[in-house]
Amino acid sequence: MFLALAYLGYTGFASGATYYYEVGEFLQQVDSVRDINVKVHGNVVPGTVEQGPLGKTLEFEIEDIEGGARLPVFYQGVVPDTFKTGIEIVVEGQLDASGVFQGHTLMPKCPSKYTPG
Amino acid sequence: MTVIGNIALFLAFPSAIYSAFAYIYGTKKKHAALVESARHALLAVTGLVSVAAVALLYALVTHDFQLEYVSSYTNLDLSLSYRLAAFWAGNAGSLMFWALLLGIFAAVFVLQKRRVGKELTPYAASVIMLTEAFFLLILLFVSPPFHKLPFVPADGRGLNPMLENPGMFFHPPLLLAGYVGFTIPFAVAIAALVTRRLSDEWITMVRRWTLLTWIFLTIGNLLGAWWAYVELGWGGYWAWDPVENASFMPWLVATAFLHSIMMQRRRGILRVWNIVLIVLTFNLAILGTFLTRSGVLSSVHAFAESPILGMLFLVFIGISLFAGLGLLYLRMEDLKSEAEIESLVSRESTFLINNLLLVGAAFTIFLGTFFPVISEAVRGVKVTVGPPFFNQVNAPIFLAIILLAGICTLIGWRQASTRNLVRNFLGPFIAALGLGVALFIFGVREWYALIVFTVCGFVIATILYEWFRGTRARNRIRNENYLKAFFNLIRTNRPRYGGYIVHLAVILIAVGIAGSSIYNVEKEVDILPSESFTINDYTLTYENIDYYETESKTVVATTLSVANHGGTLGKLIPEKYFHQNYEQSVTEVAIRSTVLEDLYVILVGWDNTGMTSFKVIVNPLVKWIWLGGILLVFGALVAFWPEKEKQPAAVRKAAGRK
Repeated sequence: MFLALAYLGYTGFASGATYYYEVGEFLQQVDSVRDINVKVHGNVVPGTVEQGPLGKTLEFEIEDIEGGARLPVFYQGVVPDTFKTGIEIVVEGQLDASGVFQGHTLMPKCPSKYTPG
Repeated sequence: MTVIGNIALFLAFPSAIYSAFAYIYGTKKKHAALVESARHALLAVTGLVSVAAVALLYALVTHDFQLEYVSSYTNLDLSLSYRLAAFWAGNAGSLMFWALLLGIFAAVFVLQKRRVGKELTPYAASVIMLTEAFFLLILLFVSPPFHKLPFVPADGRGLNPMLENPGMFFHPPLLLAGYVGFTIPFAVAIAALVTRRLSDEWITMVRRWTLLTWIFLTIGNLLGAWWAYVELGWGGYWAWDPVENASFMPWLVATAFLHSIMMQRRRGILRVWNIVLIVLTFNLAILGTFLTRSGVLSSVHAFAESPILGMLFLVFIGISLFAGLGLLYLRMEDLKSEAEIESLVSRESTFLINNLLLVGAAFTIFLGTFFPVISEAVRGVKVTVGPPFFNQVNAPIFLAIILLAGICTLIGWRQASTRNLVRNFLGPFIAALGLGVALFIFGVREWYALIVFTVCGFVIATILYEWFRGTRARNRIRNENYLKAFFNLIRTNRPRYGGYIVHLAVILIAVGIAGSSIYNVEKEVDILPSESFTINDYTLTYENIDYYETESKTVVATTLSVANHGGTLGKLIPEKYFHQNYEQSVTEVAIRSTVLEDLYVILVGWDNTGMTSFKVIVNPLVKWIWLGGILLVFGALVAFWPEKEKQPAAVRKAAGRK
């Protein structure tokens, strides 16, 4: 039975695992991680947020938490209510050929407050 | 008032420490007065923490914005009920609530009249007080709820509008109660290890506390899922987010514990395992409390609080794990089983396998949740695992658990005769096959859906068959009619039949999850008013878009009328709120929910030409999850309901002789 569990774990892992990078780290390794689905963590830069027509897309830049490196993001999908300028966020997606990160999932964090839900 | 609150907390801390030590010292030295004073100190802690809680509530209700906590989570516009609920909206308040609940539970625990376990009580109370002291330490030095700002703000920041939902009144407190409550069984287990009283005594003491806590945790989890579904508006109810996992893991291990203590009472086996399980459950509950407020894991819930907080929690978990498992090791000899599992084909072995599966599931969830931390330590790069991992690994495990729960009903204890098993097995098996074939004929072709529904059908059949046999036996032996026999059967066997009801409820939930995961359909449309679109059998017509203002917000409401080939079904009004005090907009989804499926509409965006974008989802069988949840709580309450204390045999005999 343990073997079965281990097998399940292994195959599940293979289909679900994603690398997680800070913006700075990601840009340093850009050549090796282009085209794969990754998560990138950073802050939404104020003044760079543009909502697309009908609220279906969102463009913004994320900056490394410690400042400096920036990455342009193009997100397609429903924008979560928790998103706002300046917020800490994790974007999941892929870097495209032109250097824009195509995001399909946004996971914003609320600013240093404990809020359930 | 805040001064009173501060003083109360300040006095509670040394009282808790004193109580903890006096209980142990007084019991060891057989100094009754010292033990009595420990008890008084414990009750004093309860009283003091209650005073502090009232002080915080008072500050919230009277808009005492000088308190950082009050101005962070409330404002002048906030209604009274939400001002009270803001008690647990933030870190300090929710920790305060933890301390309050533990104080109340501790008082109930020491005031309970008990025939069994008197010797364990002082040691258990001591452990409870040490835990309480830990939380008071945090409240005093790391996250003070009564922290004052250097000025008095004119208005507060207000409660996050996503929290202004009925869920706010119930989900946090019930979930917290579901964490806090496990302190009691853990403390009793430690007491049993210390005093070497490792027979069934501690199990008997602990069963109903564990069950009650488990009920709170279950409701808390289900409410969380429900709230996410109706409020967060992404169409789902569970995302395997670290904080969700944090409250699911203790639930799984507690479920395993509830079942394995049955085995200890019945056959005297699994005594070491039971200790391990309760130590794990308690520590997972503390871990859950910690994960909700630390920055260790990337989650939409977790926020970077002071790193000291995280460290303190981890130290506490370390100490209690070490104490629990260390004592276990020292008492290994005393915990030898009275019997063995005699055969693979027996109720014991199905219980044990299910226990292992439950803990196995908790373990894989733990690994998946902490994977980024582990991978960073090992490889220097963070790797996360998402829902596909959790779903793929856990679905077969949970299916196996459900299947075994059904088989278990059919197998006898000790060494079941395979012939009997086959005989009992046949009826439900045929029923399940019949269901599978019927589903196939009706168009269900996905093999995993067929397997899931067939297994669920099988288990329902085994439970109903068992009920039927029990009712029929009562009818024959006691001449009660079937209806009366059925109710009496449940009434006189509450733990067992309550358990069956819970199992039935779990199946309903499983069916709901399967239906909504396998057969959900999504569609995105951009349309103008008076246009229609279809999804599955529904036709939705976009009627209009409306803007209006209320006292605190601007509302954009879009109205759609829904119809299917049977005619009009009603209207759905998905909206977006723009609060005056809050930068982020709040999406209010519109859901049309029937037993068959949910029609779920999200307003995505619009422009000034009237073109509007919607996302529409059809989620089959979601209602089964919530209905199953209600049934689950009902079943657990049946199992929990105390039976009248039977009078000692001598008294009954004397009464009978008269």
